[in-house]
Amino acid sequence: MTPSAPKTIWSATVNKKSFELLINSNAVLLDVLRDQVGTLGVKRGCDLGTCGCCTVMVDGEPRLSCLCLAGQVSDTAITTVEGLANGAHLAPIQACFAKYGGSQCGFCTPGFLVASQALLDDNPSPTDQEIADAIEGNLCRCTGYQQIIESIQEAAKIHRGEVAHPQPASDPHPDPHPDGPGEPSMPPGHAK
Amino acid sequence: MSAGYRQQPGNRSSKRTDGKRVAGKQVFPPPGSGGSRPVMKERDLDFIPESVGGKEPQPAGSHIHDRIRTGTVVGKSLSLVDSNAKVTGQAWYGDDVRLPNETIGKILRSPHHYAKIKSIDTSRVEALPGVISVATGQDAANSFGVLPVTKDEHAMAVEKVRHMGDLVACVCAETEAIAIEALSLFDIEWEVLEPVFDRKMGLEDVDEPIHWRGKYHLSRTNVQKRVFQEFGDRSLVDNPHAASHGKWSMEGVHHGFTEPHAVVAHWDPNGRLQLYTPQQVPHYTHRALSTVLDVPMHQINVIRTFVGGGFGGKSDPFPHEMCAAILSRKSGRPVRITFDREEVYWINRGRHPSDIEVKMTADDVGRISGFDIDALIDGGGFASFGHVTSYYNGVLATAPYELGSFHYTGARVWTNKPASGAMRGHGAVNTRCAVEVGLDEMAEQMAVDPIDLRLANLLPPHSRTITGFRITSNGMREALEEVRDGSKWDEKFRQLPLGKGIGVGCGFFISGSGLPIHWDPNRFPHATVHIQVDMDGGVTVHTGAADIGQGSTTAVAQVVAEVLALPIEMIHVRSHESDTAPVDLGSYSSRVTFMNANAAIRAALEIREQILNAAWDILGYHPNTLVLNDRRIYYKHDPSIGVSYLKALHKAQEDKGSLIASGAYRSPPMGGVHKGAAAGLAPAYSFSAYVAEVDVDVELGLVKCTNVWAAHDCGKALNPLAVKGQIIGSCHMGLGQVLSEKMVYGRTGHLQNANLLEYKIPSVHEMPHVVPIIIESCDPEGPFGAKEAGEGPLLPILPAVVNAVYDAVGVRFRDLPLTPDIVYKGIERKRKSLKLDDCLELPNPRLEHGPMQEVLVARANEHKTRDKARQRTEDTSHYVNGVLFGFDPNIPLEDQVDGWRMATEPDPEQLAELGLAGKAWLKKTQREMGRDD
Repeated sequence: MTPSAPKTIWSATVNKKSFELLINSNAVLLDVLRDQVGTLGVKRGCDLGTCGCCTVMVDGEPRLSCLCLAGQVSDTAITTVEGLANGAHLAPIQACFAKYGGSQCGFCTPGFLVASQALLDDNPSPTDQEIADAIEGNLCRCTGYQQIIESIQEAAKIHRGEVAHPQPASDPHPDPHPDGPGEPSMPPGHAK
Repeated sequence: MSAGYRQQPGNRSSKRTDGKRVAGKQVFPPPGSGGSRPVMKERDLDFIPESVGGKEPQPAGSHIHDRIRTGTVVGKSLSLVDSNAKVTGQAWYGDDVRLPNETIGKILRSPHHYAKIKSIDTSRVEALPGVISVATGQDAANSFGVLPVTKDEHAMAVEKVRHMGDLVACVCAETEAIAIEALSLFDIEWEVLEPVFDRKMGLEDVDEPIHWRGKYHLSRTNVQKRVFQEFGDRSLVDNPHAASHGKWSMEGVHHGFTEPHAVVAHWDPNGRLQLYTPQQVPHYTHRALSTVLDVPMHQINVIRTFVGGGFGGKSDPFPHEMCAAILSRKSGRPVRITFDREEVYWINRGRHPSDIEVKMTADDVGRISGFDIDALIDGGGFASFGHVTSYYNGVLATAPYELGSFHYTGARVWTNKPASGAMRGHGAVNTRCAVEVGLDEMAEQMAVDPIDLRLANLLPPHSRTITGFRITSNGMREALEEVRDGSKWDEKFRQLPLGKGIGVGCGFFISGSGLPIHWDPNRFPHATVHIQVDMDGGVTVHTGAADIGQGSTTAVAQVVAEVLALPIEMIHVRSHESDTAPVDLGSYSSRVTFMNANAAIRAALEIREQILNAAWDILGYHPNTLVLNDRRIYYKHDPSIGVSYLKALHKAQEDKGSLIASGAYRSPPMGGVHKGAAAGLAPAYSFSAYVAEVDVDVELGLVKCTNVWAAHDCGKALNPLAVKGQIIGSCHMGLGQVLSEKMVYGRTGHLQNANLLEYKIPSVHEMPHVVPIIIESCDPEGPFGAKEAGEGPLLPILPAVVNAVYDAVGVRFRDLPLTPDIVYKGIERKRKSLKLDDCLELPNPRLEHGPMQEVLVARANEHKTRDKARQRTEDTSHYVNGVLFGFDPNIPLEDQVDGWRMATEPDPEQLAELGLAGKAWLKKTQREMGRDD
């Protein structure tokens, strides 16, 4: 949080929606995203660029929003973790983090997702070393990174079309209560 | 008895050779397959134990929960039930709670290490436009603390501040900028006192001890707690065949969770406090709030948000939670307080900086005749969990080994630094490292393989440790064997070139603390879970289990799904609010999955019984002959006779509507009766063994851990994916402590690295490749046999790395972390002592097996047979520590041996020879000194 300053109008596209906001001219991008845009998925871990939790994409490039003045990125297209999914359809990277243990407490997850999505956009066949280089600015205290790297590799497979992209959980699916085919219609009188 | 309508079973094999079906038999699909559209999954025999007709191997015999296994979800790798919220950014953590009309709170922190507050003038603060409310220590005089015996904290300093960063006052304002500005407007008159930073000085008398415990205060020292324990026959340590003596200095480490603390408090229009906080232990916060705010507990609703990492660092009731509640009460508006990273380090509660001295001896047949441990731990400004830590440093270091004797002196002192507390592996990590390195050293003296030394001295399953803990299942032996084979130990140990090394370490940890902190376990259970099943068949589980990312919510959902044979998507866990959740003690001491899942199983069993009784009504077959499978209940001997789950449920609901059940878990009575017997007592214990490989840059002193084989006995892996995640994550955290992490206090006692740049958490590049190995010993007490997996796996990585560094360069390091400067100095010292020109000429250790090796291998093999026999749960009579030394387990040891001691206070003649922490026993309490104030 920075001291009071004159107001200015800031415009940008966040997750494909355009915003025009009255912000402090010295406002940090992280504060604008969390407090004014309302993308609370962008996490504040350290304010010093040391943890990577606040990573967002600015015109496709991963960037630490806590080290970036909002004014520096006006009129850009910003993508936060909220913008990765296609409606209810999770992005492959999201589905794989959930499925392969890439997320435990989940606080660092948004930053990792954005950083790794940026990697996969550039390079759908990364080596483990390339993945490590892409996420080296992100700290995770729960997973020890191993399952994160596995998750990114699995997502890369979906990007390369080797594995099918999982369907959204909210898709219609059959009645969960089967009346089996051999369902007997019991005559009365067979109670205990 | 007539079985009602019954289809004639048939199968495809009953076809005639000409392809026509046998007359009178109709072929129909297997139950639940739904013809062309499957509606029921087949029973998954791979996940049902052998003892009840499945194919799952059972290492430990039949188990209490086997008969209710349905093969649905237990043992399968599942994603966490809340993971979709986390990957979409919708999981709401502390600072994500934004209530309408909120104000922003900030805390004024002490600029002094130790000072009395003579006066606080807040008039300039109140005059600042935009400031809503101000509070100081005068607004909340009641003290609190996580342990009832040591309530030594206040919402804000009442009389004096005890460390730099201690809370002095707080303010809430319309914006964060105004709140920060307001912090500079407090006018405070201080009387600066002489601070204590050195833990050794904490043992000395001072004018103004940091806290005052009245008649229990130890002279005028800063000793918060002292412990003495002695068990066994101390004469065994005379004339040792091998001995190790090590003095360790370990720096404090911090949990380093990524989410800073945050809290939102709001007194609703009904005068009830709604408090949102990322807490591991919401119930203790609930209690503390009630005490501090002087309102009954039912007037407070504690809402646990998602927790962005805990590791013990969010398990105390915190003063800032009280501050938010006080400010909100004054202002009538919601108050949100979020820490910056520096404040996270000020509140601390990390691992205690410690001085540890370990002496150990082995006799002429390679038995461990004695552990002698002395631990002086630095508690910082407050007690926190320290009372317990003081015990854990000793008692958790004994098992998994059978010991001839055990001697422990421990002391925890207050210093003017941020408070230490509980951190993953609470109290057990530092001494475990010292003990395991000591064993490595003794193995070298005896010219034996350190793994064989361990294998020949393990306690078997169903045994009693030297301090009286009840071990049930025990997978230690298998864990050691697995890592030995997996790492190709026999080809590498003492055979690698200079700079490359391999080392081993073991671990032993509690799976749930045996005693609830606030009550007698015989009068109220550890955990309670409510289950509700409504008309649609969905199951709502109400629990207070605090999921901090380890997946306890998922575990609870899994066990309920398993018992009721429902897909896990049909189980909905509600665990955030104290209003709807039954009391649970929270996520600490690795208790939550063990105790909560046990309670959930009991509740689910009640629901199951009601549904099966309804099916009995419908089908006419006794529940004993009915099988639950995916949303269908059928007759065991003829699966075509069955009823859907929903029909049975509706039948059961005919008279009472929703099915509701409550289940609880209470630990069985166990353990000794001596002072401190409850510390370290647990319904089950986990075991682990790691082998680590390191590369040491001999010229630069830089240590890189390259490979880790990590075997952990978690009883039964309810969710192998989560268990592996815990093992790798523990490895990461332990690796940080052994190689890079430390809280640096400068000459002035000031914390110098309160940020994530200089507090060096391993990044992805520092991580070794970890091979997680799950050992399933199937615990008789655990839920479906499970034990903990969250903390125990951290323990062995430290000694494994230290031992591997020795293997690589031949230098024993006893100062953690092994930063390059320490390693470089050690190597240089060794080079000079050997009068070598170049450190690259250093000889690294080699092993030629001595005569003892054969003795140990023979005993290890003998014990392996013994352990296998004891692994059957049918025989649970305890093997008593001491049998290896020739004692009769059926006669109390003290009646057999004159020298067998069990003491919790030193004899007067022992006082002269006590270690550093033991010196606390030279002081008298105020009461003993005749002062009763």
